[in-house]
Amino acid sequence: MNAMLENGVVATVAGVLREYLMLLFGNQFLTDLIMKFIGIGAVIGVILSAAIVFTYAERKVCAFIQVRLGPNRVGGRFGLLQPFADMLKLMSKEDIIPAGCDRVVWALSPMLLFVPSALAYAFFPFDKGAVFADVNVGVFLLIAISSQAVLPFLMGGYASNSKYAMIGGMRTVAQMLSYEAPMVFSLLGIVMLTGSLKMSDIVAVQADNVWFVLLQPVAFVIFVITATAETNRTPFDLVEGESEIVAGAFAEYSGMRWALFFLAEYANLLAVSILTTTFFLGGWSGPVLPGVVWFWLKALFMVFFFMWLRWTLPRTRIDQMLSLSWKVLLPLALANVMCTGIGVYIYRWL
Amino acid sequence: MKDYIGAPLLAALQQAFPSAEYDSEAAQPAVFVPAAELTALLTFLRDDGRFGFARLENLTAVDYKTYFEMVYHLFAWGANTWITVKVKLDHEAPSVPSVTGVFPGAAFEEREVYDLMGIEFSGHPDLRRILLAEDFTGHPLRKDYRQAAPPKVPRLRREGGRVYAAD
Amino acid sequence: MPQTETYILNMGPQHPSTHGVLRVNLELDGERILRATPMMGYLHRGIEKLLEARTYVQGVPYTDRLDYVSSMNNNFGYCRAVEELAGIEVPERAEYIRVIMAELNRIASHQVFIGSLANDLGASTGMLYTFRDREEILDLFDLVCGARMTFHYIRVGGVARDLPPEFAEKCRKFLDRVPEFTAEYANLLMGNEIFQRRLKGVSRLTPEQALAHNMTGPNIRATGIPFDIRKVDGYSVYPRFGFEVPVGENGDNWDRFQVRFREITESARIVRQALDGLPEGPVMAKFPKMLKPPQGEVFSRTEGTRGELGFYIVSDGTAKPYRVHIRRPSFINMQALDDMCRGYLIGDSVVAFSAIDPLMGEVDC
Repeated sequence: MNAMLENGVVATVAGVLREYLMLLFGNQFLTDLIMKFIGIGAVIGVILSAAIVFTYAERKVCAFIQVRLGPNRVGGRFGLLQPFADMLKLMSKEDIIPAGCDRVVWALSPMLLFVPSALAYAFFPFDKGAVFADVNVGVFLLIAISSQAVLPFLMGGYASNSKYAMIGGMRTVAQMLSYEAPMVFSLLGIVMLTGSLKMSDIVAVQADNVWFVLLQPVAFVIFVITATAETNRTPFDLVEGESEIVAGAFAEYSGMRWALFFLAEYANLLAVSILTTTFFLGGWSGPVLPGVVWFWLKALFMVFFFMWLRWTLPRTRIDQMLSLSWKVLLPLALANVMCTGIGVYIYRWL
Repeated sequence: MKDYIGAPLLAALQQAFPSAEYDSEAAQPAVFVPAAELTALLTFLRDDGRFGFARLENLTAVDYKTYFEMVYHLFAWGANTWITVKVKLDHEAPSVPSVTGVFPGAAFEEREVYDLMGIEFSGHPDLRRILLAEDFTGHPLRKDYRQAAPPKVPRLRREGGRVYAAD
Repeated sequence: MPQTETYILNMGPQHPSTHGVLRVNLELDGERILRATPMMGYLHRGIEKLLEARTYVQGVPYTDRLDYVSSMNNNFGYCRAVEELAGIEVPERAEYIRVIMAELNRIASHQVFIGSLANDLGASTGMLYTFRDREEILDLFDLVCGARMTFHYIRVGGVARDLPPEFAEKCRKFLDRVPEFTAEYANLLMGNEIFQRRLKGVSRLTPEQALAHNMTGPNIRATGIPFDIRKVDGYSVYPRFGFEVPVGENGDNWDRFQVRFREITESARIVRQALDGLPEGPVMAKFPKMLKPPQGEVFSRTEGTRGELGFYIVSDGTAKPYRVHIRRPSFINMQALDDMCRGYLIGDSVVAFSAIDPLMGEVDC
């Protein structure tokens, strides 16, 4: 039991599994391969179950904020089966293909959108020693991958042959590109403090010292704002802007294709919550409880926080959004990097 | 219309526009004016200090079967007085100068009258149908308007899961 | 040199925030609006023509369907016009009840406005809060006349029936809640930086523009012109009550919101005074069942929730009106849409629709 706490629950379980497989096959390569597949399965499982849990949670949180009851019919008093009902509905819907759309690009867009959001999960330290790919340029790769989400939106918007979708696609590009910059710079301070781009190192440093939210409060605020913008949630949901451009880039999608967008949206929501947890809230570190429990507690709190924002705030306007990014957040993030640099220098000099 | 414009002012109006007529016996007499002088009269009512009818509260038309009547209700805020200006129009090809030059806010109401009553407004900046479809024929608020019979839909008879036309 | 073109975006009639079936053609240069052309008629039912085929008394329920968010005010306007035409003297108690109903309905309508404005700004939570409180007013109406939307309560000659005995108490209870929920809306929306930045200085109209477009109601008052028929004409028993006419300063969307927001409080004041001074007596005037007003015509106006609601009725001495024309405030206010959208962004256009507060049942008539 102590060993489990020491090394992390997930890592211990994985170790046991690996030993068992080793005994079974007696082949190092085969065991590694199977372990990788189990890892992929686990990560995909996390994403899919997150989508199921979050559809329900979003409805309940929204209802709670809006003085309503939320789902309360399907599956008992608390409507626990609502996500499954939603899923059934989406699957049984007709697949409507708009006239005059670019068929190939149009069909590819929702699938491609899901790729970067799923790929990002490879770098998340869910627990001590439980990172699917603990590469030493983790942060860099993560940002590189997550910025790929722009393209599918633009593809969907362009291929739909709809003006609303086109405006949505254009807005996505403007929004995601301009919020990428302050996001990267807000993370730079952490990288400077840690001296490493490795995700597990960043958490380990926080576990040994203090959470970075205390050392980098400005970066934390910038990161949360940019993360909201990157996930296209209110107050930066201009990309979907239900009351303005109907649903933006995915206005013309229906049924399972739309469900993929939906899935990607929740995968992204969880991803940014996990990132906030990892970078600023100490990841899996915490007393008494096992690391993985701490990790999910923090991540889910951040998810709740993003939902809270979504159902409280109105939407900004495109010019306000862009000027916030370029005129406020980016200079602030740069100043933060500068201050951190000076701070680190002084600390070393002492 | 609580306070209607008084008799002295009406007399003054007739002095300025001799072609304007009104029934001096009635309690709230409408001023009838020939179509050609309508905009001049409204401009006068709006700009002259004694009248000051700066608000066109209502604009509509009535179909009296043999002729049309354009009705303009003007209100002078401050003095709180009203005046009704009317124009009689020929029933065959009704046309009246647009008052949008005097009261720009009349644009939609004139379009509505054009749409539903079929009165032409010469000089209107954008005279199109407003409530009915562009390809609609007829003007429903006219008294002689008869709605076309709805298209005949064949009645269906159901027998043993099959559907027959019941003619 | 690349060629650029403007493009037309057809908003509506099926669009989440065009308040029913409004359709607006936006000519856009990127996100910027060059021209906005409202197109209406999708809800045209020909109410003016229908009224010609009904007796005067039968016409009242049709007016319910004009501005279905504030039906009481429409009933009120139509009944006043018919009474003026036929020379019917309405009992005092009925006038008081009418004012109470009209003002309660004004509050309800402004709550819908605040809610839908918040919703169009993307804050759908605000809508739920205002609709929750509107429910209390609908409950009061339900108590009085058994309906929640189309009331047909104010009739020619008075009101349909007297107030139930428990009405006064319940209504007072609601009035006590007014400061509470207005404070809640203020907390929820007005203090919000994003909300303010989205509304302030957007869709500005000068008083001259508002007058030129013949705007009425809260839309003209937002530009600073205190044009309120309740004060200007002093119809019904309104002169007996003390109330202010809130006006704005800049004529932007923020002022349109503020004017309506403050009108809620003023309307509540009127209702409270009317409840206090409610006289005893009959609630229905005596007049022949088959009402045949003398030959003539009348133009009568009241302050509807969206502006000046006028009824022009021509009588030919028979039991049915010869011609009814309705001056619908929303319809005429829509003329300002182009000026309110021109030069602003797509996101502002939906706020402009919202801020005019048109109701398509009334626009299309």
